[in-house]
Formats: sequence, C-alpha cells, structure tokens
Amino acid sequence: MANPASKRLFKEYRGLSSDPPEGITAGPVTEDDMFLWEALIQGPEGTPFEGGIFPAELKFPKDYPLAPPTMRFTCEMWHPNVYQNGTVCISILHPPGDDPNHYEHASERWSPIQSVEKILISVMSMLAEPNDESPANVDAARMWRERRKEYERIVRGNVRKGLGL
Amino acid sequence: MSKLHAVEDPTDWLNTSLSCFEPLEAALRCQVCKEFYDTPMITTCSHTFCSLCIRRCFNSDGKCPTCRTSDQADKLRRNWVVQELVDTFKAARPAALKLAQTKAGSEDDEAERPKRKRKLEDTDIEEDSFEDTRRPRRTRRSRSVAHGTSQEEPIELDDSGDGDYDPEEGTTLCPICKSRMKVGLVYAHLDLCDGKPVNNNGATRARTQPSKPKEPLPPAARLPQLNYSLLKDNALKKKLQDLGIAAHGSRALIIRRHTEWVNLWNSNCDSSRPRTKRELLRELDSWERSQGAGASTVPSAVMKKDFDGEGWAASNKDQFDELIANARRNRARKEAKTEEREEKPNEDQIDSMPTHQPEQAPSISTPVRHDEIPNPYEGNEKALSIVREKVDEANSHGRRLRSSGQPIPAPPRDEERPGSINEGPPLDEEVDANPPISSQQPSSQFVPISPNVDMSRKAHMFRLPEDPIIDTDGGTSVS
Ligand SMILES: [Zn+2]
Ligand SMILES: [Zn+2]
Ligand SMILES: [Zn+2]
Repeated sequence: MANPASKRLFKEYRGLSSDPPEGITAGPVTEDDMFLWEALIQGPEGTPFEGGIFPAELKFPKDYPLAPPTMRFTCEMWHPNVYQNGTVCISILHPPGDDPNHYEHASERWSPIQSVEKILISVMSMLAEPNDESPANVDAARMWRERRKEYERIVRGNVRKGLGL
Repeated sequence: MSKLHAVEDPTDWLNTSLSCFEPLEAALRCQVCKEFYDTPMITTCSHTFCSLCIRRCFNSDGKCPTCRTSDQADKLRRNWVVQELVDTFKAARPAALKLAQTKAGSEDDEAERPKRKRKLEDTDIEEDSFEDTRRPRRTRRSRSVAHGTSQEEPIELDDSGDGDYDPEEGTTLCPICKSRMKVGLVYAHLDLCDGKPVNNNGATRARTQPSKPKEPLPPAARLPQLNYSLLKDNALKKKLQDLGIAAHGSRALIIRRHTEWVNLWNSNCDSSRPRTKRELLRELDSWERSQGAGASTVPSAVMKKDFDGEGWAASNKDQFDELIANARRNRARKEAKTEEREEKPNEDQIDSMPTHQPEQAPSISTPVRHDEIPNPYEGNEKALSIVREKVDEANSHGRRLRSSGQPIPAPPRDEERPGSINEGPPLDEEVDANPPISSQQPSSQFVPISPNVDMSRKAHMFRLPEDPIIDTDGGTSVS
C-alpha cells in the first residue's frame, strides 16, 4: 500500500469503522481496492427522506485527497442536487474553481483536509436542505420550489420502495 | 477487517480509560495523510503539514489545504516543536494505551460514550477552531523536560548496560553534522549545532555508529521547481538524467515524475531523519507504479462520466441488512401515523400550529456545519449577536432565505456574507408537509438522525433554545 491515496483511504476506513457518525456507514467494497467504496446514509429526521436508507458508491481518484471522489446514489433519488443517474452534485465534491457557477464559497469546496466522513455528512444535510441555485435535476428543483407536496410524496414513495415496503 | 486494526488510529483510545487522548492524538496527525506528522512544516498562514504532503498540495493547487491561502513551497519552515510532540507522543503511546486499555470501561467513560455512534455535533472540527480549543498546550514543564539537560551539556548518548537496549532505536542523525543522538535531544542540539560532529567518547561512539555503512546522505540543497513550459522535451529529459531519475515516458509523465522527485527530495532535505538517495529512488518508483494508468490530475468531473453503476456490492452486507431491517420496521410503524396526518387538510395543520414552531423549525433551520466544534458560540458574544441579528431578520421577513452557500460563520470572517441572494418559498408552505415531530417523543424507536433536527433540538449552534431559529444563510450548499 505504497500509494499515499490508498494509505489515506485505509486510514479513513479505519476511523469510520471504529467511530462511525450516526446514520452513516461506509467502507471499501473490498479491502483489496481502496478506490471504490459503498456507503449508506440514513434519511434525516423531519424530512421526507426520514426513515429511508440510501445506498451510494464513492469512486476515488488515484491522487486522492488532492482531488475529490465522485459519489453516486445507487437507489432512486429524487432531489434537486442529484442527477438522474444518481450522481451527487454538492460543493464539497468540487475543488475551488471547478464550478462554472461560482455560487459556492471556496471554504466549502473540496480540499485535501476534507474526508469521506465530511462528504457523507454534507450529503445527509443536502437531503434535508436542497440548494436550488444550480440544480443537477432541474425538474426536481422546480417541483421542490413550486409543488413541495408533490416533491415530498415522490421522495416518500422512494423511501418506501427502497425499503421494499 | 483483519488488517484494519493493525493500523494505529486515534480511535484506539475510544472505550479506554483515556478516551480524551483521541483528540490529542488526532491533533498530532497531519490532516492530509492522517498519519503522525512526518517532518512537519509550517506555512506562512501558520498551518502545519508533513513536508511531503504540503509540497504535493502546493504542486496541485498552490494553496494551503486548510485555509486556502496561496503559498509556496519555498516559504515553508520546519516546525520543530510539532516534530518533538509527535516523537515523544509516539514513544509514550504503546505503554499509555496498554495502561488505558486495562482500565477500560470505567463508569465515567461509559457515561461519556453511551452510544456506539457519534452524534453528529461531535463530528470533526475544522483546524482553525481546533487550534483555538483543543490544541494540546505545551507547558513549561514539558519544555524543560525536553530541553533541560541538553541545553548546556554535551550530547550524551544512552550507554547504560540495559540488555535490550538497541543503540539505533530512538536515535536520529543531526541533519547538519550527522551525529547520531536521541530523538528528543536533536531539537535542542540543532540550535547549537555548528556542523562539527558532536564529540562523544569513544565507547559511546562505537556503539551508536550506524551498523551498516550508508551512502552519503543527500546534500541539503533543495531542488528548484522547473518552469516546464519553457523547457523543450530534450532539455527536460536532460534535467531528469542529470538528477539521476528515469527520463522515459510521455512528456506529461516526465513532468509528474520530476515534480514528485522534487517533492520527495526537498521534503527529505527538511527531514531530521533524511533517507538515502537510493531510498528516495525506490519511493519514487513505488509512487509511479501506484499512480497507474488512471493517475490523474484530471479533474474528477471527468470521472463522473465513467460511472458504470456496477460498484455496489455487498461486502458490508450484514451491517447494511440490519440497518435496512431496522428502518423497515420503524417505517412501517411510522407509516400509520404519517398517513393519518396526510389526510388532514393542510390549512388545519397550519392553523393548529403555534406561530412559533420550535419543533418545526429544526427541519428547516439549523445551519449544518458539521466540521464545527459543538459550541462555537459559547461565550462568543460577537458571534452570538450576529446570529441573533440573523434570526430576527429572518423572523421579520417571515421567510426562509435560501442558503447562499455559506454557513453561519463560526467566528465572523472579514468578508461580507452575501445577503438574501435567493428567497425561498414562504415559511409556512415549507413547513406544512412535514408531520409535526415532537421533541418530547421518546426515542426508544429507531430515529434516523438528522444533523439539523438533532442539533437544533439542543440549540447547539446558538444556545438560544427559546427563539425560533430560522436559517438565514446556513446549510451546506450544493452545486
Ligand atoms: Zn501528512
Ligand atoms: Zn493555511
Ligand atoms: Zn549538529
């Protein structure tokens, strides 16, 4: 494990498995490959995502943590900041200067001191509070803005589906 | 999982009688590599990283990873104190941990960590705030312990007759005069070192001589960064050959190899325990192999496109299954309640709600700043007043102002925060669809935590529990 990236990922895995934050589970798919992780995020309480468990995968670049990973939900996800294919679009996953919209403050962007844990917590709070300034899913963003109840019904439906109810 | 616990980690201290050592050890680790600082260097913005880590970061974007200040590798300075803290902590660690583990599970500790999982408000904190609150303080006493004897006396190496004493263990070479000495003594020595080998007596010297003759250490001259754009391919290759590193491969590869070599070389020059050039070459080689074909300075935006969706496998399946089973059970339980509520006309709901909705506010309110210390506002009157102002402002608008991307600042920053760039829908519209959640609700059932709800219930960020808290500017922004 000479690669600084896999070393660092292993350390993060170690820390997350010994002391996981509430509502978050994450680790490499296999310990032979530190560059592909799976994660589970619980839906935040008091939101339509409440009660749901949302699986996602994270792919890390070889020069991690200089560059951020990408994250993709592998379940149905109706959310302004999640592309139709599940890819998450959130500031912490972009290095500064990587965002054509420049909406985000640089301090929230990716930096080598960020971590998987911080990403997952940010995503958890993104579920609670979408940002519709530069939506990845324009339809979901519009619905969230204009027809909130319909939005929440779809989300709750996905939660039930995800749990096989 | 087996390999997992072979690695030292700050979390080793959790569930021991010294769980307070977890943040201490975390503070002694580099935020970039998560290892104990190796050759710590301080930036002009006063952040500290391993020499190699910060050099790589500077190559990547020229900015401090913590505060994003532009900085340069040639402005880095050694941070001897941190090196000393790390060395002494590492030396003390095994014995301390062993002791702490034998006394594990004391009641105090149980009370502190009743749950397996952390509350989110305990989550990692940013280095800035970290430094203010949890930085281990160096006491006078520790200073005199570390330096006391060495300041005046000549360096003495441990020559006691201990049977298991390893002359190499715990010693290091002075980077200037190459004398071998105890790790703890080298810092004090460096202040006095005139480059002449320390005059040890014969016996000691013989014992502490490196057992195998080493190559001459690399001279302490740092390599300059090259302006690659000014160098033609051949000139560039020549540079690499002159340095004694491989010069094959594409131009891009050659540039990356050279960059990494400069990082390795220069961080080795910083080190109080420099390695030989051969070791560095080996490291360069292993770095190059680990970079693989996908090694990229390619922005990860590109990677988004090759997601194939096949990554989701089930190695943690048991754990996941359990989570899902739990969630299902609770979901089913909740379903009944929720449906009941959904049938009610929403207007009724709104009307029946108190104008102040402390239980409601959470879902839309608390700025989630996960990397914050739990009570950044406690005793910080200035910050508190800003928050109060924001809360009042939001209340008087009766609207929720959508996040403009910046969380409520922990300490107020110098730059003006953007105001209400973007207004959300009226507050009540947003609230009505959420079933009211009572904060008094017994939490015997599985409660998926929300960073929002959880924190605001305790009014953690603000300590203003009696006020409705409206998000003016918070939350994690998303692109
Ligand atoms: Zn480091
Ligand atoms: Zn800095
Ligand atoms: Zn010396």
